[in-house]
Parts: sequence; structure tokens; C-alpha cells
Amino acid sequence: MKRIRFLALATVTSLLLAACGGGGDGDQSPRVHYTAMVSFGDSLSDVGTYNVSTIAAVGGGKYTVNGATAKNWTERIAAQIGTSAPCAAQTGLNSIIPQIPAVAVVNHAGCYGYAQGGARVTNPVGPANVNAYPADPSGALGQLTDPVINQITRHLTAVGGSFSGTELVTVMAGGNDVFSNLGIVNATVAAATAAPGATPTSIAAAAQAAGTAAVTAMGTAGGELAAYIKTQIVAKGATHVVVVNLPDVSQTPLGYSQSVATQGLIQLMSSTFNSQLAVGLGNTAGVLQVDAFTQGQDQVAHPTQYGLTNVTVPACDLTVTILASSLVCSGNTLIAGDVSHYQFADTVHPTPYGYQLLAQFVAKRMTDAGWL
Amino acid sequence: MTHGIKTLAFAAMVLLGTSAAMAQSAGTWMVKGGVNRIDPKVKSDDLSAPSLPNSQVDVKSATAAILTLGYMLTDEASLEFYAGLPYKHDIVGAGALSNAGKLGTVKQVSPTLFAQYRFLPAASVWRPYVGIGLTYAHFYGEEGSGTLTSLTNPGGPPTKMSVDSAFGLSPQLGVSFQINDQWYVDGSVIKTFLKNKTTLSTGQSIETKLDPVSTNLSVGYRF
Repeated sequence: MKRIRFLALATVTSLLLAACGGGGDGDQSPRVHYTAMVSFGDSLSDVGTYNVSTIAAVGGGKYTVNGATAKNWTERIAAQIGTSAPCAAQTGLNSIIPQIPAVAVVNHAGCYGYAQGGARVTNPVGPANVNAYPADPSGALGQLTDPVINQITRHLTAVGGSFSGTELVTVMAGGNDVFSNLGIVNATVAAATAAPGATPTSIAAAAQAAGTAAVTAMGTAGGELAAYIKTQIVAKGATHVVVVNLPDVSQTPLGYSQSVATQGLIQLMSSTFNSQLAVGLGNTAGVLQVDAFTQGQDQVAHPTQYGLTNVTVPACDLTVTILASSLVCSGNTLIAGDVSHYQFADTVHPTPYGYQLLAQFVAKRMTDAGWL
Repeated sequence: MTHGIKTLAFAAMVLLGTSAAMAQSAGTWMVKGGVNRIDPKVKSDDLSAPSLPNSQVDVKSATAAILTLGYMLTDEASLEFYAGLPYKHDIVGAGALSNAGKLGTVKQVSPTLFAQYRFLPAASVWRPYVGIGLTYAHFYGEEGSGTLTSLTNPGGPPTKMSVDSAFGLSPQLGVSFQINDQWYVDGSVIKTFLKNKTTLSTGQSIETKLDPVSTNLSVGYRF
């Protein structure tokens, strides 16, 4: 009987032990140890280049629904890999709008968030750059739009000419090349329409030629970005470079406001940029390509699967913001109703939830690659 | 020499407390200890929204010590209670997450009460048996991972898991081998039909059929 008692006791004890103890966080460290995150690109990755002047005063600064907890995808990835919160490598504003005083351009040592709203791949004049004014009225805002190639050069200068190899580098660009080239198409068509003796045939021919030129320009930009990544980032020592391609710009409120023909052109511009980017990168070691184009299309096709309640309407009320951009949108300037799971903050930029979905997809691809 | 062997055998009988009772006959108590491997045969549903389509999980096998206590109701029918030390399983991605690797771990104990029928006479050297058990699978000690957080809320607070405990039916096939009147070796294979739900602190949940196959080998003692 002693043996029975002992074994029964042991059994009961093991069951009681099992009843104790609760869940935990587990090992949260990434599979790769990163020392820093370096981001190149445009507004989608901008962590506050223009968080100055009146923009800062109204609670803006990032291209989303701004707020204390609002993060774009690069900030989320930085937090996940355990590096410090990214800060803008350069701040300033060349505004000529009286209500938004200009602020001198300042470089911030130790800050590796180079991405700037309005930045293109190579061309230094992007949307809302003062040098585009007055042809582009938005140029009055005076965004710096330092292009990706200059961003990379500035970083290399700041760190002595090469990457250490322990950084996570992110690159995401191309949207502003779409907007600028689309502006040229629209201007060309407008000029052809206003030309003496214009006929529907002459206008259509001009539109066709302009569209073809725009698509070609996008392909060139995609190829250039691939070349910069290979020769200025990977060849300079970076070992973990996440390259997020251009989402389908035709599937934005901006795209939806265009004619069907123009939407088709925008989609072709986006996909041509991406295909040249992908071809240029090939299977470059150290580069992880993330197909945000296809993923974004899937989110539009299956919003419920992704917890999205709206994929067509901006969450920001752009009639009350001081500019028609989420750069100056916050919780105070939203449309009525629950917009927490809207995809878009303004006509092209995601809400914090939209950025979360992008970050999740990037993280998923990094996990697959053993990078996270 | 012959005398020596007899003496040794007598001494062994005394030490082991041999009685006149036949092996595995009515009224016999049986205890055994051994090892058991639980191999879940997972059929995963998809993680609920918001999630990437086709996000699924798999649960890896685990091995731990078991302790059982049995009682022969008749020469053929027995009741046997299985318990043991906790198991720790890895939870890994499947489906769209098949390259994700380990998402977390979970511990479990699954005490089971079997009703068994044993073939052949009680004193047989080999005695095959069949059983049917009721299992309570108690899951606890769930641990997430950086990967789980990355996939569900990158840059946010660590995502936690909560795995529901569940009851399941467990048919059993086994055989015992009699070494002597007290000691025996026993092995069995158990299939458990078990379905449960795991909920994440980020709000999603996933239903899984675990349906594990357990394989065990033990050394038993009866008295």
C-alpha cells in the first residue's frame, strides 16, 4: 500500500504542478541581431522630415492619421527588430505658404530615417517641391524631396563610406515618380486640347504618346533604383536590404478619382516600375524583395480577411485639414464614424492600420527569409 | 549449485513480496512507469481575420514520463488511469506560414481513464488488450515568440497565446509481457480525438484538430 500511496501522490503532484504557471511572452528576440535600421524612400517611410512649423503645431508630421501611437511600417519594423525608434535624418521645409513658415534644413547626426515625402528615385524635384511651383501648385509647401540616390549618398558620407553589415536597410520608392509623370501626361493632354486646330484624333495621339513616355520613364526609374541598391547599398557592405515594391497606385482614392483609361495607365506605370526593379535586382544576395503590389491588390479584393472596413475613402476629412494631405491629419480632423480600420488616411497614404498590414507583410517575408 | 539457485530464487521471491495471486487476475493492482511520445496529427483551420489567407499551424511531437495506476475488476476487465509529467510542444507555422518556423510553445498534461479488456488467460505471458479512454487535455504555460509578434502585431507588445483545454475520446491497443508474477513490460498505442481553439491576444483565433497518436512503453509492477 505504501507504494500505491507514493505513486498516487507523485501522479497527483504532477497534475497539480501542471495546473500552475501561466502563459508568457516567449523569446521575442529576432533571429538576426541588427544594430540599426536605415530607411530610404518617400512619404510611406518618412518618420518626420516635415514635422516642423505649422505642420508640427497642428499635430501632423507623418503621412497617416497622426497621433501618439501612430506608426508607419518602418517604425513598426524598427521596434520589432529591437533598434531604437527611427528619427528623420533631415528636417526642414521650403514653404512659401504664409500660414506655414519655412524652416531651415537641418541634418541630424545618428538619425537614419532618410525617406522624405515627395522623394523620387533620381529626380530631385518631386511633388510639392518648391521648384515645381507654380506649374504644380502643391509646390508651395516646399517639401525637400531629396531623391533616393541623394539619400543613400548622404548616409554613406555620414558613416564613412560603407555599411557595417549589421544594419537592416529598407527601400521603398516610386510613388512620386508616378505622380510627377502623371502630371506631365495631364499637362501634355491639356496642351494638346488647347492647341489651335486640336481634333479628337490629335488629342488622342498626344495622350497616347505621353502615356507611353510616362510608362517608359517609370521603367527607367525602377531600373535606376535597382542599380542604386546593388551598387550603393549592397556593394557598400549592407547584408540585409528589404526592398518593398510600389503598391498599385491605381487602387487608391487618387486612382479611383481618375478616368478608367487613366487608372489603367497608372496601374501600368506601377507594374512597369516594379518589373524593372525586380529584373534589375534579380537574385542579388542580401536583398529581400517584398511584393506590396500583389499584397495590396489582395487586400483590396478581400478586405474582410485583413480586417479592413473601407479601402476606397480617406479617413481624414481633407476639407478641414490645412493642406489636402494626411501630413497634417490627426485624430481631430477625421471624417465621422469609426475609421480605425480604413486603409487610406488621404488619397494615397495608409492609416496606421494600413501601415500595420504593410508591416505585417514585410515581417512575414522577413520571417520566411530568417531575417526576423 | 542447484541449492544456490534455489536460495537465490527464494530470496528474490521474499524481496519482491510474491503472493500466490495469479498475474492480472481480478483484484490485482498494477502500477507502471515509462515513457510516452505524443505525436499530434494536426488539421488546422485558418487563423481568423485579420490575417494572411491560409495562415495555419502545426504542433510538434513531445515525449515525457508517464505513471499509471490500474485495477483488475475481473480477470479480463480493468480500469487504468494514465498520468505523468508535462509535455512541451513546439507550435510552428503551416500553410501560408510554413516558412515561419516556431511560433511558440505550449505545455500540456492529458490524464486519461481507460476501461480495458484483456485477452487470453490471466497468467499468460503475452496479454494483448484493447481500451477506450476519456482524456482531459489540459494546456497551459503557453509561450509566444518574436515570430508570432512579427506576424500579428509587428512592433507592438508581445502577442500572447491562450490554448483551450479539451476532452477527447482515446481508443487504445496494447500488449503486456509478463516477466514474472510481479514485473511486466507494457506497450500501447493510443489515438485521441481532440479538437480545440487557440486565441491570440491580438484577437485572432484558430481551431485545430490535434488528434494525436501516443506511443508508450512502460515497466509495470502488480500486487
